Amino acid sequence: MKSPTSAAPGGLLTRAADERRTGALVVGGAPGGTVYLAEGLVTYAESSAAPGVGELLTASGRLAARTWQAALDAGTAQARVGRLLLDQGHITQGELELCVLGVTYDAAYFALARGSAPVNFLDGAVHWLGEVVRVDPAAVAREARRRARMLDEIYPNPRIDTVAVTPVPRPPRERVTLTAAQWELLVHADGQRTPADLALLLGRAGYATIQELRRLAALGLIEPPAERTADPAFVRLPRARGSSVDVQRVTPAAPDGPTVPIVVPARPGLASGDPPAPAPREPEPAGPAERPPRLARRKPGARLPKEIAAEPAPVHPGTDEVLLKRIRTALRALR
Amino acid sequence: MPGVENCLQEAMAIPGAIGASIVDYTTGFPVATTGAAPNEDHEAAAAGTADVVQAAQSRSLFVSAVPHDLLEDLIITTAGGYHLLRLVRTDFDSRLVLYVWLDRVRGNLAVARRRMERLADELIST
Repeated sequence: MKSPTSAAPGGLLTRAADERRTGALVVGGAPGGTVYLAEGLVTYAESSAAPGVGELLTASGRLAARTWQAALDAGTAQARVGRLLLDQGHITQGELELCVLGVTYDAAYFALARGSAPVNFLDGAVHWLGEVVRVDPAAVAREARRRARMLDEIYPNPRIDTVAVTPVPRPPRERVTLTAAQWELLVHADGQRTPADLALLLGRAGYATIQELRRLAALGLIEPPAERTADPAFVRLPRARGSSVDVQRVTPAAPDGPTVPIVVPARPGLASGDPPAPAPREPEPAGPAERPPRLARRKPGARLPKEIAAEPAPVHPGTDEVLLKRIRTALRALR
Repeated sequence: MPGVENCLQEAMAIPGAIGASIVDYTTGFPVATTGAAPNEDHEAAAAGTADVVQAAQSRSLFVSAVPHDLLEDLIITTAGGYHLLRLVRTDFDSRLVLYVWLDRVRGNLAVARRRMERLADELIST
């Protein structure tokens, strides 16, 4: 096992397929996902943004959570969960194939859509569901790209796919027409649930969910995600993950450029009685500006600046998704 | 026990069948295909199929004229053939349609409709 390297997931999938490899292509980042290959053909894919076969079958009531859990317990170790469900007559071959095909293309979209992500290939890894279908990886990669294009044709704002969904309190027009799927989404969107949460809750495909959400956004029925760059006069510099921009940081002036006055905002940590910081300041030499950005000094107990506090905790790339999903299914069975 | 491949093989056994596929109509993607497709392009045919189903299902109001009414199938008749679209209703979340292209002369619309109804049912029930 190599350490994850950053690359295009689609390109690596094609290479693994050309070499007719068997194993799992693990794509990190958010949402990321895993594509399973057998002799160069795709057999399954999963992603945290796409409900899996178990979630779809149990959320819809097609299988009792107990039945699914029993099949998991008995078949996970030998990777024959799907075979067990068929042999015990819980589900038909046609249903299982259609379900696995749907889930595979759905999860593959989330795993492969991003141009670059940390990717890793685990040789010989097999999914616990067992092999139900085999799909041409080129078709999977092509479909993932086509799906990304289709979303942008509906409403080109990819932030809708990840941020919590908030319905607008008042529709923008007198009369609105909704499909059943859109109604279901609006009724369950509470300002906290992300599209992935909604897909899991409703037992719907992840892609179909964000497709409807983009349509709702185009209709003006859900709040557009807040723009990150609110004030065009204040340009935030790119920063390293886990650190923040020093508000005092100044851009080194171009050597021969015209001198432009730089407006430096007052220090947020200053007590109200203190005199404002002297401005404008002389730009510092390039040396200190190239240091990694530091947090501005704060008073004890003061809150973190909003832009740092709002940053989500970094997802640990090694989290065992399968284990987490199993725990969740087991907890559901106890209800 | 019929799988997807088996279902499509049986669809091709319908008198006059030229091609068949199962299409996801939200994304317009052919999940499984067999035989010929209009212009030899199964993916383009699937995208067109999706447009037609969505037009009937959500953009027009035919299916909501009566409460609990459901779209069952769509038939497009051309000079050369019939294009039959039958919705496959699974218990779990999916949006699938069985598509069969029939030759106008050799095909029998009534027979094909009945056979497709049975195929769609058999695919998802025990």
